[in-house]
Amino acid sequence: MANRIDVIGLEKSFGAVRAVDGISFHVKTGSLFSFLGTNGAGKSTTIAILLGLLKSDAGTVLINGKDPSLHGESVRREIGVVFQESLLDPLLTVRENLFVRARLYGMSRKDADEAIQRTAGITGIQPLLKRKYGKLSGGQKRRTDIARALLHEPSILVLDEPTTGLDPESRRQLWDTITLLQRESDLTVFLTTHYIEEADRSDYAIILNSGQIIASGTPDALRTEHSADRLLLSPANTAALRKALSDDEFLYREHHGRFEIELDSTLSAIPIVARYEPLLASFEVKKSSLEDVFLRVQERKEADANADTRKA
Amino acid sequence: MLTLAKRNMQLYFRDRSAVFFSLLSVAILIAVYVFFLGDLIADGLPDFPGKQGLLLTWVIAGILSVSSVTTTVAAFGIFVEDRARRTLEDFRVTPLKQSSLIGSYLLSSVSIGLIMCLAALLAADVMLFVAGEPLLSVVQFAQSAGIILLSVLSAASLLLLLVGFFRTSNAFAAASTLIGTSIGFLAGIYIPIGSLPGYLQSLIQLIPVSHSALLFRHVLMGPYMSEAFENAPEGEAWRFQEAMGITFHVGDIALDPLYSLLYLAGTAIIFCLIAIPVTKRLNHR
Repeated sequence: MANRIDVIGLEKSFGAVRAVDGISFHVKTGSLFSFLGTNGAGKSTTIAILLGLLKSDAGTVLINGKDPSLHGESVRREIGVVFQESLLDPLLTVRENLFVRARLYGMSRKDADEAIQRTAGITGIQPLLKRKYGKLSGGQKRRTDIARALLHEPSILVLDEPTTGLDPESRRQLWDTITLLQRESDLTVFLTTHYIEEADRSDYAIILNSGQIIASGTPDALRTEHSADRLLLSPANTAALRKALSDDEFLYREHHGRFEIELDSTLSAIPIVARYEPLLASFEVKKSSLEDVFLRVQERKEADANADTRKA
Repeated sequence: MLTLAKRNMQLYFRDRSAVFFSLLSVAILIAVYVFFLGDLIADGLPDFPGKQGLLLTWVIAGILSVSSVTTTVAAFGIFVEDRARRTLEDFRVTPLKQSSLIGSYLLSSVSIGLIMCLAALLAADVMLFVAGEPLLSVVQFAQSAGIILLSVLSAASLLLLLVGFFRTSNAFAAASTLIGTSIGFLAGIYIPIGSLPGYLQSLIQLIPVSHSALLFRHVLMGPYMSEAFENAPEGEAWRFQEAMGITFHVGDIALDPLYSLLYLAGTAIIFCLIAIPVTKRLNHR
């Protein structure tokens, strides 16, 4: 089967709020799919519908060809979920936690023990098995959560903002684990996140805003199309740099004593930095954030709307 | 379902403060009795043979019925906590059925209530021993255990109905404190039912836990009753039974304890039947 997840024309409202407003997307087997959006964009609602925990108002959802609203139980066996919060029981040990969850998937004691060994191996948490979950660090909890999500050998792993509140080292470890998993099996990863940097590793990304897809494509395509990196120059000699930039007819903005230049690509910073090197104290290249993309898409929409009014 | 019920119990017994607080109202009850209520009630009665044992078993009956409620309340705290912490979500992404999920909480709460109350029963036996009274007979023990099961079931099904409405652990903690402190009055345990006005007496008789107290009194006080009122004037035993809540009556008709048994069982079944669909609905929100 080419697609793990097919969503066509999905709609869901809570009262007057249209949480999901006619979205369609497809997730290929073995791919890393990113679902970007701010809080309240409709991410959690979509996940709940994928899992068969919420009924959609309209549209088609297929997980491995099955409708989750009709085959909730078998669909939930296909999906492992890592929630934003750490949801395992703090007073139980890691092993006890995993054992309880494994049994909920109908595994025998023996199978459960094997599943714990297997997933602990993948996530590198064997040394933690006897420790209380509540006493673990944020990164250790996260790895345990992933082990929990993999217990029943799902074909799809849903990660709901998995790096929120993690320190950079744990964040990196988490990504190493996910990348490893993907490379070694044909696990499909469905990631939701605020951060466009995290979506960079994905094969395909969609950006959701107020229940609608406002942009989609590979991360590179999204960035080129909708946002720009920015070069920030801290001058050694402010007046000289200002004059040099103006003379060369660069579009720049001055902000808190720094000069900001929009870039077509990250690499185009190099010649600029080289050219003004003698005048610089330091420089920084700022990667575009999801917010930039939002702003861009929003600006473009408004511009289009204005253009339409003018035509009419 | 069994795995999950076992997990709930593990969580309860590992949380020392939960265990402590579920016994707190029982401890308060004992303290209240030891420090002033015991003397107060004893002073209000004429001296008769077996008075000490009679009053002690009266208090023990109260303690057992109160703890059947408070320990079950504490056990349900796990359910509220799981929802507040969104752990329920983690169970809902498994193939586990919604009814098994609710069943596991019911099962664990009933088991916890049973374990704690049986421990209380053993402690009661120790209290009797220390006071120099004869220990409970095997029959009394078995009957008490049966009443414990019934009152815990009744409390658990009523709580299952109520617990769905608590969204945060704090709200539930406040409610359980309220239940813990008021239950002694509601079951006619702090103050003998006979010294309350008529409308309160009727109200108390509607509350399931008062029937559990009545049944415990029947079983535990029985042997002392015959001793105490052997030579008493006609009607004295009857007045005592009525005043201390050993017999309830509607109008002039005295109710057989069998009615109390049926009342407990009936409320258990009815509340459970209402609670399961209600809780399912609330969980889906």
